[in-house]
Amino acid sequence: MIDQIAKYKAKLLADRSAQPERIAFSAKDDVVISDGEHSLAVLAESILARLNCLALVVAAPSLPFADYLVARAPLADTAIIPRDTETRTFLHDIPFIRASELGEGDPAERIATILGSRKGVIVEGVGIIANGALTVEQAFINWSSVFHSTFVKYLEDLLTAGFLLPGEAEAFREFRTNWLKPLTAEGLTFRDGPLTDHATILDEMARVGRYTVERGLVDSFFGNISCRNNDMIYISQTASSLDELAGCIDPVPFGNSSTTGITASSELAAHRRVYETGDALTILHGHPKFGVVMSMVCEEQHCAVTDCWRDCDKVRIMGGTPVVAGEIGAGGLAKRVPPVIGGPGRALVYGHGVFTIGRRDFAEAFRALVEVENWCRNEYFRRLDARL
Amino acid sequence: MHGWTGNILNVDLTSGRIWRSKIPEHFLHEYLGGRGLGVRLMRGAYRLDPFDPEMPLIFAVGPLCGTPAPTAARLAVVSRSPLTGTIYDCSAGGRFAWRLKAAGVDVLRIIGRSAAPVVLSIKGENAELLPAAELWGKRVKETVALLAEHGSVAAIGPAGENGVLYANIMMGEGNSVGRGGLGAVMGAKGLKAVTVNGDAKLVIADPDRFDHARADVMRLFRASPVIFGELGIAEFGTPALVDLMRQRRMAPTENFRKTVFAASENYSGPAIKRDFQAKKDGCYGCPIQCKKSTPKGEHLPEYETVSHFGGLNGIADLSAIVKANTLCNELGMDTITVAATISAWGEAHGRFPVAEELSGLLEDAAFRRGDGEALALGSRRLAEELGRPELSMSVKSLELPAYDPRGAYGMALAYCTSNRGGCHLRAYPISHEILRKPVPTDRFSFSGKARIIKIAEDTNAAVDSLVACKFSFFGATLEEYAELLSATTGVEYTPQSLKEIGDRICLTERFYNCANGFTISDDLLPERFFSEAGSSGEGIEVPAIDRSRFDEELQKYYRIRGLTSQGTFEDSHWLERQP
Repeated sequence: MIDQIAKYKAKLLADRSAQPERIAFSAKDDVVISDGEHSLAVLAESILARLNCLALVVAAPSLPFADYLVARAPLADTAIIPRDTETRTFLHDIPFIRASELGEGDPAERIATILGSRKGVIVEGVGIIANGALTVEQAFINWSSVFHSTFVKYLEDLLTAGFLLPGEAEAFREFRTNWLKPLTAEGLTFRDGPLTDHATILDEMARVGRYTVERGLVDSFFGNISCRNNDMIYISQTASSLDELAGCIDPVPFGNSSTTGITASSELAAHRRVYETGDALTILHGHPKFGVVMSMVCEEQHCAVTDCWRDCDKVRIMGGTPVVAGEIGAGGLAKRVPPVIGGPGRALVYGHGVFTIGRRDFAEAFRALVEVENWCRNEYFRRLDARL
Repeated sequence: MHGWTGNILNVDLTSGRIWRSKIPEHFLHEYLGGRGLGVRLMRGAYRLDPFDPEMPLIFAVGPLCGTPAPTAARLAVVSRSPLTGTIYDCSAGGRFAWRLKAAGVDVLRIIGRSAAPVVLSIKGENAELLPAAELWGKRVKETVALLAEHGSVAAIGPAGENGVLYANIMMGEGNSVGRGGLGAVMGAKGLKAVTVNGDAKLVIADPDRFDHARADVMRLFRASPVIFGELGIAEFGTPALVDLMRQRRMAPTENFRKTVFAASENYSGPAIKRDFQAKKDGCYGCPIQCKKSTPKGEHLPEYETVSHFGGLNGIADLSAIVKANTLCNELGMDTITVAATISAWGEAHGRFPVAEELSGLLEDAAFRRGDGEALALGSRRLAEELGRPELSMSVKSLELPAYDPRGAYGMALAYCTSNRGGCHLRAYPISHEILRKPVPTDRFSFSGKARIIKIAEDTNAAVDSLVACKFSFFGATLEEYAELLSATTGVEYTPQSLKEIGDRICLTERFYNCANGFTISDDLLPERFFSEAGSSGEGIEVPAIDRSRFDEELQKYYRIRGLTSQGTFEDSHWLERQP
């Protein structure tokens, strides 16, 4: 477990989501192992002792968005409700504890009580605390999911409500100027397609998957990747990390003559339909944050649809990219993406992220992913600037 | 009270007395229903011989039964297994559970022994014992048909009547209370069947909260490749696992001598769908419908059944496998145990049966004639009788299902820590070691597995007490089900509190077992898995399991559970302190 803790601490540092000096993990086998900043490690151990789960991570996010969301929330609220698909599906909402409440009794007891029913919690002034029922990785995934969700919700809220707190505008300017890095595909090399050799396909998918994470497009477990070769789809497995795909790619025959791919990504159906209905040979899917935010910016007035993720049947166009609704897996995304992605080679899904295709290899798909996110980032700031 | 009825329907078959009594409310809060409640109600009887007339046979529904909670129209049957000697429970779906709840009871508790065969008929508030001499000897399908006008039927077949130690109780809709031989317990009581029909409606404490939680569950089902994926169990049933286990090189073959069966594609999910025009079928109100049947309604076999009648016995003939499954359903007999017992018998005789021999062997076992007399006892007793005890691939006398432990070390450990013996469904580590849910773990590592198995056992004990289907948890989690439970009952539950309940249930079961003499020597895999490698190849090495590493992890498990190094209780009064 020590190596697992080191690995996921390094991931938090690599994606710059947590403050380097404010990270702690605790995990228990038959004994408890803790590592990281001392006071947070003590807190983590104390919380974990109260829970029937294996691991816990306490870390202060590198951006103040989670705390801002808490401070901006009405006093009666005890949770925030981000609207992105990951939250809607897996987290439902994100409970929080205000700093003013921490003085009342043992904080570990109170935090453990909340974590006894949830995957993660925001503790104002402390950070995001998340548990892993079975593994250290699960705790990391839950932490990162909360970070992602709060990032998306805060940016979304700014578009409608602007800055409300002292210092908020300055902190946001710092984020915009220094935290965000330019997104580019420059300097990356891609194998020329079409890719037809088994080993080459696996290797190229692993490499391109890693690129998406390294370039900051995708948090490591948010997304999937596939490649078509004749009657076979090679697709990343469910719950796999895009930067660790070696051994995590399923070859799935088009005709469903084998069910080995039961472990394939939940988006297998969407990938399959895209291949069946167009000339794509590769597909990339990720959840770049600005793409997710902008997919939910809908200006439709007097719309009767209340469950936009599931029920909206309109196709909006944002920067040349069609935006459709549809929930993951068997939730309709597989029906709505394939008809719109062929022409532009890209599509956004409401609250969910970006799909791009390559008609020859992964270069086109990767560049399209960068372009969509860059467009969404620029458009986001254009709208925010106009609002402010 | 919401969610529960608070009632036990008691039946004493010896005296013919039938009466209702109240369940202490804290039992319901602390043990939920199903497995947990049944285990609690066994407290005064767990030392009895399984065939003792006073041994209770308990049918217990859960607080979610009767609601639209996905996959929760189920019950657990609890007693002591004549095959394993352990406390035993088995969950089953169908319509029976829902109708029992609608008759106003959470628990049906049957004791005693009838002098002549009887059927227990429950119609709403009324229950009576009906003579059943004309039904005794009949197979399940005919029995169910003859009783259909009475409502849902739970019946035994010839195997239960004849005391086959792995006889099932069969639900009329095709579900089975399988594996541990509770059909034989029912048969020993002279009870051929229970019929039930009720129409009482269950009131949910907070319908809006319930609907919200249900929507969350359904969203997770849709996001789960295993459940609703194109290659998942809704589409192909559990035989969707055949190809995966072949690819992972952990498909038990020839009595676990090998772990790859070259012809397994003959009985894969796609093969069954193609050859038998499989259509969706399943439990009442279940959105998954993982069971498959032919257009004529013949139930098609599950993964464990096709694999054990198939690769485990070296049989590649799908028609013969389907026929064997149907015959077991008709005779009321567990497919995993009988197939594994036949396989041990085959290895002992130096020849596994050919497809054409299966039917005869199954009939012989059910009627205990010829070789069937030994086959009816399960593989452990059979192997001992043949002087080859090492050929029984079982833990605590329960035959291992179709997940070779050399291919998944968490599974190896979980087979041994399971309170009911070699069962895949207690900790169910296949979920993360193979199917990657909720997160993948390294199947060839013991690292962390003791804690993982403990947590999963607790979780699944709660699931079995709700009573929900394990397959739901390939998508949903206790988070959503705790919400469903809280909304239904008006009593607040969390995943943590449910796991605490699960922990209590697991330890109670273990306490019963220890009191009946079970120790560390019963928490052990057959020697084959420590001394013989599986079938390596295609880049996958399947070595024998490292015994010292296994022992180390088992000791960790004991420490985590608060047990002695022998897997027993330091405190002989532990049970008395439990609610």
